[in-house]
Amino acid sequence: MKLLKYTIYRLLQAIPVLIGISVITFLLANLGPGDPVSLMLQGQEHSEELVRAIEQRYGLDRPLHERYITYMSGLLEGDLGQSIYYQRPVSALILDRLGPTLLLVLSAYAFALVTAIPLGVVAANRRNEPTDHASRVAALFGVSTPSFWIGIVLILIFAVKLGWLPSSGLYYPWRPPSSYPGINGHLELYYETARHLLLPMIALGTLQMATIMRVERTQMIESLQGEYVKLARAYGVPERTILRKHAFQVAQLPIITIVGANLSTAIGGAVLTETVFNINGMGQLFIEAIQQNDYQLVMGITMMLGFLFVVGVIITDISYAYVDPRVTYGERD
Amino acid sequence: MAVGESQLGSDTESAVDEGDVEARVGWRYTLAQIKQDTTARWGLYVVAFVITVATYAIVDSNLSLLTFGRLPDYAFAQALPIFDHPTRIPPPGEGTQHMPPYFPLAEQSWNPLPAGGTIEHPLGTDHTGRDYFTRIVYGTQVSVFVGIVSTFIGLSIGTIIGAVAGYYGGKTDDILMRVVEMIYSIPPLILIIVFTVFVGGTSIWYAVIGVGITFVPIFARIIRSRVLSIREMDYIEAARASGVKDRNIIMRHVVPNSFAPVLVYATLQIGVTILVVAGLSFLGYGAQPPTPDWGQMLNISHGYMHSNLWLSIWPGLAIMITIMGFNLLGDGLQDALDPRIDD
Repeated sequence: MKLLKYTIYRLLQAIPVLIGISVITFLLANLGPGDPVSLMLQGQEHSEELVRAIEQRYGLDRPLHERYITYMSGLLEGDLGQSIYYQRPVSALILDRLGPTLLLVLSAYAFALVTAIPLGVVAANRRNEPTDHASRVAALFGVSTPSFWIGIVLILIFAVKLGWLPSSGLYYPWRPPSSYPGINGHLELYYETARHLLLPMIALGTLQMATIMRVERTQMIESLQGEYVKLARAYGVPERTILRKHAFQVAQLPIITIVGANLSTAIGGAVLTETVFNINGMGQLFIEAIQQNDYQLVMGITMMLGFLFVVGVIITDISYAYVDPRVTYGERD
Repeated sequence: MAVGESQLGSDTESAVDEGDVEARVGWRYTLAQIKQDTTARWGLYVVAFVITVATYAIVDSNLSLLTFGRLPDYAFAQALPIFDHPTRIPPPGEGTQHMPPYFPLAEQSWNPLPAGGTIEHPLGTDHTGRDYFTRIVYGTQVSVFVGIVSTFIGLSIGTIIGAVAGYYGGKTDDILMRVVEMIYSIPPLILIIVFTVFVGGTSIWYAVIGVGITFVPIFARIIRSRVLSIREMDYIEAARASGVKDRNIIMRHVVPNSFAPVLVYATLQIGVTILVVAGLSFLGYGAQPPTPDWGQMLNISHGYMHSNLWLSIWPGLAIMITIMGFNLLGDGLQDALDPRIDD
């Protein structure tokens, strides 16, 4: 029951944050010196009437708070407004592009977790030995190198020099194979997806890998020094069992938090990775929206990404509470 | 704490909260620890090197020591590019050989020289014929400047918000921290781009301010958690009892005493800033041409990947080394200040 209460508490807590995000986004998009109409008409000859007409069409002639309320009531019904540039509903545009970005971000996290956790454990277990130093240096490189540059270098090596992997685009595994020329059957499609995804996944996942590995190492070192580990040793439990069971499980808890908190870095990184690898995801859509001064679309995407982050954090927080029996619900310190 | 390891989970904040740390956070102690810690020392070397290069490029804008006078005078700009970049126009007839590092000349593109091609251009030239090496050197100024100024903006605003929230507690705390959490919930890169494009206009200045604002939450959280423990100390009680104003207590006692761990984050944050601004410039929303900025150079070289791949390597290496310096220094400082890790 306590867990259910905590879940509801966290969900309720998210509401003001989401409203806050909408206010910030709305103000940024509407209060700036560049008003939407002049941005839309950039460089074009226009008459006073045209401006008036555009203002009326998009409801820009009404006061700010009214516009905000209209926007929010639309939002509650899942209506994010109409894209000015594409002349399509913002929500439909976002839905179209959400897939590739989610695929990219999730595979980057999968890559990061699969590589970082064993490396972190090994490093902690062989503390101050060459393996530890090597993995620490690797982690240092990981947190110090821009993801887009890793992407560029990977393209230079594996696409330009060696010609092994494609340097741009992505095959969507959820589409029917027949929509791609030269692809027969699902297996071939998945293979192509994997080939296209490999480099962007590494580019985006490296920073996450390095961060997770550092935390994993510190946590493992700490948990290996714990009283219960000492006790287990005193009872003669084999070192491997201690490492795998007793020390390992406790050390994984902070990883959950890190994964959630790092989501915003990963989303920002996705914008860059999509640009480098020419993947048509949310990041590219955002850049297009910015370039076209499509403020409705920009607001929609920003809201959506903020929403994704908040949801991600809540999911990690709740799963943390489910996994760790020591968590006190409500105010955690 | 690692760079990307942001501070949403409040359980990451307790690292330096224990009371017995007080003796270990003094400035002299910190310096002594840096001297002992290999990581911190190397970080300090790299950071000192980068800052020296940046300063040197201001003092000697012709880079005469670095280039041994191999480039003619007109190949250089005169002032710090961020403030002003007057260009010396090449004399007629010579202009095609050496383009100034800031020369805004996008049309006249030719195949860039390969790296190490000539003594005059050790790293080759870019698509307009500007010497790549001098542009990389000038790029140091932009990165260091942007990193330090943005971090300072985030640090100042974050310190005030965090200190006020932590000191007063209750409703003030709730409201301030909620606002901070809202800013924190929009992915930084997205927030900065929206801010620069809709509020400011694309320029490095708005990027600097935007990056600074997105870092406010991180600093506010750290300061707040420190203040929460310092607030209960006897000397604060004493100051309050003797009638010292709240503002003075916060500025004279609370903030200075919470600053040592913040310094660690600030150092690490400079690295993050440089990373973020490089990304912004790469997308075209940070430093604008012709400013020699590393991220922006990578943006341009992206189009020349097949003809000269080295153009994409050098700026990235420069970014990596600079950020690594700040990260090493930050990590070293953290080890020095964190009583939990004993080697």
